[in-house]
Amino acid sequence: MAATPAREWTGLQQFPVATQTALHNILGKLRQRNKESLSVLVVGKGGVGKSSTVNSIIGERVTVVSAFQSETLRPLQCARSRAGFTLNIIDTPGLVEGGCINDQALDIVKRFLLGKTIDVVLYVDRLDGYRVDNLDKQVIRALARSFGPSFWRLAMIVLTHAQLSPPDGVEYAEFVEKRSGALQAAIRQEAGLKKSEKDVPYVLVENSGRCNTNAGGEKILPNGTVWLPVLVERIVEVATSDTDSVLVDKRLINGPNANERGKWWIPLLVVAQVRQTITIFRHGKQSRALEYYSILDNVR
Amino acid sequence: MAATPAREWTGLQQFPVATQTALHNILGKLRLQNKESLTVLVVGKGGVGKSSTVNSVVGERVTVVSAFQSETLRPLQCARSRAGFTLNIIDTPGLVEGGCINDQALDIIRRFLLNKTIDVVLYVDRLDGYRVDNLDKQVIRALARSFGPNFWRLAMIVLTHAQLSPPDGGEYSEFVEKRSAALQAAIRQEAGLKKSEKETPYVLVENSGRCNTNSGGEKILPNGTVWLPALVERIVEVATGPTTSIFVDKKLIDGPNANERGKWWIPLVIVAQYLLVVRPIRKAIDKDLIEEKNQRPQWEIRAEEFRRNTSMDEDDQADEQAISQAFQQDVLGDQLDSFDDDDDEDDY
Repeated sequence: MAATPAREWTGLQQFPVATQTALHNILGKLRQRNKESLSVLVVGKGGVGKSSTVNSIIGERVTVVSAFQSETLRPLQCARSRAGFTLNIIDTPGLVEGGCINDQALDIVKRFLLGKTIDVVLYVDRLDGYRVDNLDKQVIRALARSFGPSFWRLAMIVLTHAQLSPPDGVEYAEFVEKRSGALQAAIRQEAGLKKSEKDVPYVLVENSGRCNTNAGGEKILPNGTVWLPVLVERIVEVATSDTDSVLVDKRLINGPNANERGKWWIPLLVVAQVRQTITIFRHGKQSRALEYYSILDNVR
Repeated sequence: MAATPAREWTGLQQFPVATQTALHNILGKLRLQNKESLTVLVVGKGGVGKSSTVNSVVGERVTVVSAFQSETLRPLQCARSRAGFTLNIIDTPGLVEGGCINDQALDIIRRFLLNKTIDVVLYVDRLDGYRVDNLDKQVIRALARSFGPNFWRLAMIVLTHAQLSPPDGGEYSEFVEKRSAALQAAIRQEAGLKKSEKETPYVLVENSGRCNTNSGGEKILPNGTVWLPALVERIVEVATGPTTSIFVDKKLIDGPNANERGKWWIPLVIVAQYLLVVRPIRKAIDKDLIEEKNQRPQWEIRAEEFRRNTSMDEDDQADEQAISQAFQQDVLGDQLDSFDDDDDEDDY
């Protein structure tokens, strides 16, 4: 369990000035609401860019990112402070390795989070994936089951590899809408969101060094948006929304205890059984007594 | 089973002149070897670009490609002729949908290929995938099991989305090498290729309309190669390679009949049973019968043998002889009957 103590958020200084200003303003909103720290959990399948996104936000290479090797199974909590505000980002191992859910990774993540509070969840996936299949739905379901119904209400979708050329005949905006729409629908279905609740928000991210930049040197998406401040702004939006943060306690980790369910039935059943038995017994005694006397009569 | 009859390969005319010339030369080599037709099977997971590749090679939109919808489960055979040479390309449904192998798709493909001959196999995957995981290995294994050992010897890897920017700190060629090597290693392992056999060849492909082009209008890779002629050339190389084409017959489709395996063991086992079990038992039984005919009880014979084999001191021997004599004269009988069990009463 590698937890780095809150260090100075030096990575901020590497960002272009415009980005730094934007981030300061956004984080200022949090301080206005007396929120001095924020815990962000980053989850997703393997190889989608979780660690790269964490590195981008922090501005340092906190996690080693390797294209071809599987990730280690250790979650990493990284805390950075700036002007009294602390940002905790928790990077997790991929929940899917090979063709199935990595239950061991899920378990490790649960134990790592014991006693911690989650304010925002970043669910990371690639923008240039084309299908939302059963595997994705299983991941969503497993997370909902493991961390309760509030988990997905604190979540936002992060789509990496955002600097893509869409397939022929499709506009970039249209592609983004379809891709995010498919993921939002899957989350709504598997997490059990009601129709009245709004869709999980999404942001686009391009972590590569080859990301195009604007005149100010800020990394931009193909549609011109500077993505890093947008990402942080959306995180703050979720953190300041109505949904309460999730405290991961032992009960959440262990899951519902099957023995506790329906315990109140037991005394009711006992009383019912006892009464029934007494009734039958009494009835039997009476009828046997009658028979006995009738036999006696016949004998006499 | 949608099979379009061999039409004129009109798509060729849409290619830039340089590409057309290159393709003519490459296909000419096939005609020199008296090969008038070529059947190419395109397989791979779902959403990797199989149909797009087919469309690129044929030069027309033979298959509808949709980014977000799952493919239909119908294989599509597309045949195009040019100057007496026919190219058959068979596009197949993705073998993986969701997190597991689509056995139904595999079955449909097998039945579609009944009585067809496969000359070349294109195994398609994305260049910008980072992992070769258990799912990929399962696909490779399932194909090897379904179509026999030659399937992967007729195969080549097609890596789509080749116009990619590699991850930070990596060169394009280095990325390509690592990605292709990972797939080649998986194929070697799961298909059971021997160490002496060479690796499955690979080609890079970029089917998007945004693919960069050179001055002649030909689509090129980030390293400058014109990829379409390279793809066709590699196909021809495999087709004229040492491995023979696969003919998909009913036996291949149905799979090995478990009842046929090891049938020749049956007579051998019967003979062994007779020699090793039946005959010795029969002999032993016969021996016993003969012995019994001599009117000597078995226990006496065995007792004699026991005595012969063990050493007893003279007192014991004298006792033994006295007992057996007494039995034969039937003297002991009464004494044994009056032998009382009074001693037992003390136990109560």
